[in-house]
Amino acid sequence: MTDQCPHLDYRPLADAGDDADARAYCTAAEEFVQAMRADVCNDRYDLDHETDCEIYRDHEGLPAIPGADGE
Amino acid sequence: MSYDDYLAGEPVVVTAALTGGVHGKEANPNLPETPEEIGRAAAACEAAGAAVVHLHARRESGERSFDRERFQAITDEVRSRTNLVVQHSTGGTGASVEARRRALRTDPPPEMASLDMGPLNRYHHLTSENTRGTVDSLYDEMVDRGIKPELEAFNDGHINEIRGLLERRDLDDPVYATLIFGGGTTSPPSPRNLLNAVENLPEGAAFNTLGFGRHQLPLTTMAILLGGHVRVGLEDNVYYGDGDLAESNAQLVARTAELAETLGRPVATPDEAREILGL
Repeated sequence: MTDQCPHLDYRPLADAGDDADARAYCTAAEEFVQAMRADVCNDRYDLDHETDCEIYRDHEGLPAIPGADGE
Repeated sequence: MSYDDYLAGEPVVVTAALTGGVHGKEANPNLPETPEEIGRAAAACEAAGAAVVHLHARRESGERSFDRERFQAITDEVRSRTNLVVQHSTGGTGASVEARRRALRTDPPPEMASLDMGPLNRYHHLTSENTRGTVDSLYDEMVDRGIKPELEAFNDGHINEIRGLLERRDLDDPVYATLIFGGGTTSPPSPRNLLNAVENLPEGAAFNTLGFGRHQLPLTTMAILLGGHVRVGLEDNVYYGDGDLAESNAQLVARTAELAETLGRPVATPDEAREILGL
């Protein structure tokens, strides 16, 4: 388990104003992600991108059902 | 609550769900996230006809926060600007019960707090579990702190769960349930399903209605006719019309308030809401 998804980046929103904080951007999906999904990207709380994120799993060629390959 | 309440012109309590914790400014840049933004949005919603404000906390990046201090900053902003009934969320997919209960520990505590009545699927691999043990634990702390629970029924099975909670605990009247319609685990959005849900509620329960996305306007309007209360706001719906982003939470509240008045039910003031909800 890593502490953060390697596809997570933080970028400014185009229309959020110059002083707005950068937002979570998924380089695999090539789009900004929802605020709650960013908790998965960051492995916060009880969340883990390796098991909880379908975008990561699909991008890495992992099975759709975590654990289906015996991991 | 029933059509008779509509005919009697009973006031409707409008809850403004300002921010949520799922989507943020990436979905609508007008969605308030910081304590100051939320405070200003709350004041605008009170002026537009809201009586209750439903609050989540966020980090500076817009991402979810379960810190008591963050809830404190938000509730301070709202209380300094409004007389609104403050309702904190205790929802939190992937967060521990201990993290979720921090929203109850502001000073003063919120007058109300949400209590999710059962599981809710998120994305492809996540579920907000909300076991009965979690529900009871959060409920008990609400009672200890004098907080009225807003029982969130994501689907009709959760109405069974409300009945179960009533068997396990002695809730104050009126029991206040929010009926939720949309995609995924929530009730399929249709007028018939709203009618059925209202009929299935425990005797004497008051109800609130929220619909996600395009279902916000029709189902809350129908709830007004059924004698219920309503929740609108950018947490549940970022659009005003077909493809047009809402300019603000207040814009959504103002439309609902105007509809209620047109249909013959005045919107409740915050103090009237306190009386209606038994706060």
